[in-house]
Amino acid sequence: MIEMIQEFVTSQLFVSVHVLIVVAHVMLLTTAYLIYVERKVCSYIQDRVGPNRVGFDFGQPALAFLKGKFGLGQPLADGIKFLLKEDYAPSRVDKVLFTLAPMIIIVPALIGFVIIPWGGQWQMGGPWTLPIIGSLIGPIGGDLVHVVGANVNAGVIYLLAVASMGVYGVTLGGWASNSKFSFLGGLRATAQMISYEIPLGLSMLSVLLIVGSVMPDSIIAYQINHGWLMFTQPLACVLFFICILAEANRTPFDNAEAEQELVGGYHTEYSAMRFALFFLAEYCHMITSCAFFALLFLGGWDLSFLGFGPHAFDPVATSIFGVLAKFLVFFGKVIFLVSIMIVIRWTIPRIRYDQVMMLGWQTLIPIALSVVVLTSVMVYFGQTGMVPMIIANGVLLVVIMVIQPMLRSWLGNPTANRKIPMYGSRFNPMPGELVNTAPSDPIALEDRPVQGTRPAAT
Amino acid sequence: MDGCIATTLGAGDPGAYLPIFLMIMGAIGFACINVVGTLILGPRRKGETKGIPYESGMTPVQSARKRFNVRFYLIAMVFLVFDVEVVFLYPWAATFSNLEPQSEQAFTWLVRIMFFLLTTVVAYLYGFRKGVFKFD
Repeated sequence: MIEMIQEFVTSQLFVSVHVLIVVAHVMLLTTAYLIYVERKVCSYIQDRVGPNRVGFDFGQPALAFLKGKFGLGQPLADGIKFLLKEDYAPSRVDKVLFTLAPMIIIVPALIGFVIIPWGGQWQMGGPWTLPIIGSLIGPIGGDLVHVVGANVNAGVIYLLAVASMGVYGVTLGGWASNSKFSFLGGLRATAQMISYEIPLGLSMLSVLLIVGSVMPDSIIAYQINHGWLMFTQPLACVLFFICILAEANRTPFDNAEAEQELVGGYHTEYSAMRFALFFLAEYCHMITSCAFFALLFLGGWDLSFLGFGPHAFDPVATSIFGVLAKFLVFFGKVIFLVSIMIVIRWTIPRIRYDQVMMLGWQTLIPIALSVVVLTSVMVYFGQTGMVPMIIANGVLLVVIMVIQPMLRSWLGNPTANRKIPMYGSRFNPMPGELVNTAPSDPIALEDRPVQGTRPAAT
Repeated sequence: MDGCIATTLGAGDPGAYLPIFLMIMGAIGFACINVVGTLILGPRRKGETKGIPYESGMTPVQSARKRFNVRFYLIAMVFLVFDVEVVFLYPWAATFSNLEPQSEQAFTWLVRIMFFLLTTVVAYLYGFRKGVFKFD
C-alpha cells in the first residue's frame, strides 16, 4: 500500500497540489476584490465615490484603528451578508435544477485555471522528507518540476472544453426559475455564448498553427524566441478579446442581464449564496479567460523584451525567486487585462441583441476562418515571422473591409425563411393593417388580486 | 523505493490528470458548502406572495414554460456543425507547422484541409442565404 502511494506521489504532484491550493485562494481573493474595484471604477467614471465606509473594525472600539478609509472591508461584508440572507426559491421552480445551476456554473469557472503555467519550471532542492506524512509518501524534491496545476498533454484544449461547460449552468438556471425574465435571459446567454465560442476556437487555432503545439509551455517558449503572438497575429488577438468579452457576458455583450429589458437575466429569481455563486463564477471566468489571453498573445510570464540579463525573469531561471517573479508578472498581465474589461464595461454602451448575434455569425466567423486559412498558407510557405505575418494580416484586413459589406448585400437579404406578413398577426401585419396590441388572453384580462392578498373591494 | 528520487510525471500519463480531479472535487465542495451554509444560516419565512415569480410588480400571466423562437434551435444546430469542425482542426493545427515548409507532404496536408474548410464555407454560405444568421 505504502509502495503504491510512494509511486504515485511524485514531486510534480506535490507541487501541483500546492500550486492549486495557492492559486485557488489567490483567485477567490482577487475575485472578491475585483467586485470592489469594479464598483470603485464605476463610481469614479460616474463621478461618485463608491464604497468608502466599511473597514475591518466590526464595530468594536478596540479595533478602531482598522476602520476602513477606502471601504476595503466591503468584499468581506458582502460575503457575510450573502451567507446570512434568506436563500429563497419561489414556488413552482424546478427545485433540483434550481439548486444545481449555480453549482454547475461555479465548478467549470474554478477548475479552468488548472493548466495555466503560472511560474515556468522550478528546480526543487532536496530530496526532503516531510515532517508528518514523510514516512507515508516518501522523499520529495530534487526534480525539475512545472509550476502548474496539472501538466496534461491536452493543454489549452482542456481550457476550451472546460470554459464551454459554463453554458449548462446558465441554461438550467434560466429554465428552472419558472420566470419569463430568467427564461429569456438564459436563452439569450446560451445562444450568445455558443455563438462566440466558434470564433474563439478559430482564433486560438491560428495561434496553435504557428506554435505547432497545444502545450502551454511550448506556447510561452515560442513567444520568448519569436516575439509575442499579439504582434504576429493581431487580427486573431482582437477577435479573441472580443470573444472572451462575449463569453463572460460582459458589456458590450451583456444582453443576458440587460437590466432595462430583463431585470437580471438568468439570475433574476436567485438570492443569497446561490446568487453570489453566479456572480463569483462570472468574475472567475473573467480571470481565467484573461489568463488564457495573456498565455496565448502576451507571452505568459515572458518579459524578455525588456532586455534583462541573467536574472529571475530569465526563461531558464529555475530558482524559487524566478518562479515567484514569473507568477507576479503573469498575474500582473491578467490584472491589467481585467482592468481593461472593467473600464470597457463602464464606458461602452450595450449592443442590441440581434446586432450581437449578427456580429458573431456574419462578421467574426468569416474573419476568423480567413485568418485560419491565411495562417495555414503562411505556415506552408514557412513565413511565420513577425514581419511577414503583420504584412499578411494587414492585407487580409483590407480585403475583409472590402468584401464583408458586399457579402452582406449578396447574402444578407435571403428570399427563403423570410417573414411573411399575415392578416391578424400581431408581430408581422400586412402593410397598412391596424393591429390590436392589447392582450387578448382571457387570463390577462381577468381582474385578479395578487395571490396571498385579500381580493379587491367590490 | 530505496530512497531514490521520484520521477517527474510525463504529460501524457493518466496520473497527470489527478490534480484536475482533485480540483473538481474541491470546487464541488466549495459550491456545496456555500449553498448548504446559507440554507443553515439564513432565515426562512414563507409567504404566498413571496412565491410569485418576479415580473416587475405585475401579476404573472401563465407559465414561463412557453414556446420560444425557433432561431435558438437553428443557432444550436449550426453551432454543432461549426464546433465539431473546429475540433477536427486542432490535431492538424498542432502538427502541421512541424512539417517541412513547401515540401510535398505539407502541400498534401494543406490542400486536404483547405477542401475540408471549403465544405464548411459552402455550408456557411448556404445558411447565410437561408437566413439562419439573420436576426430581426
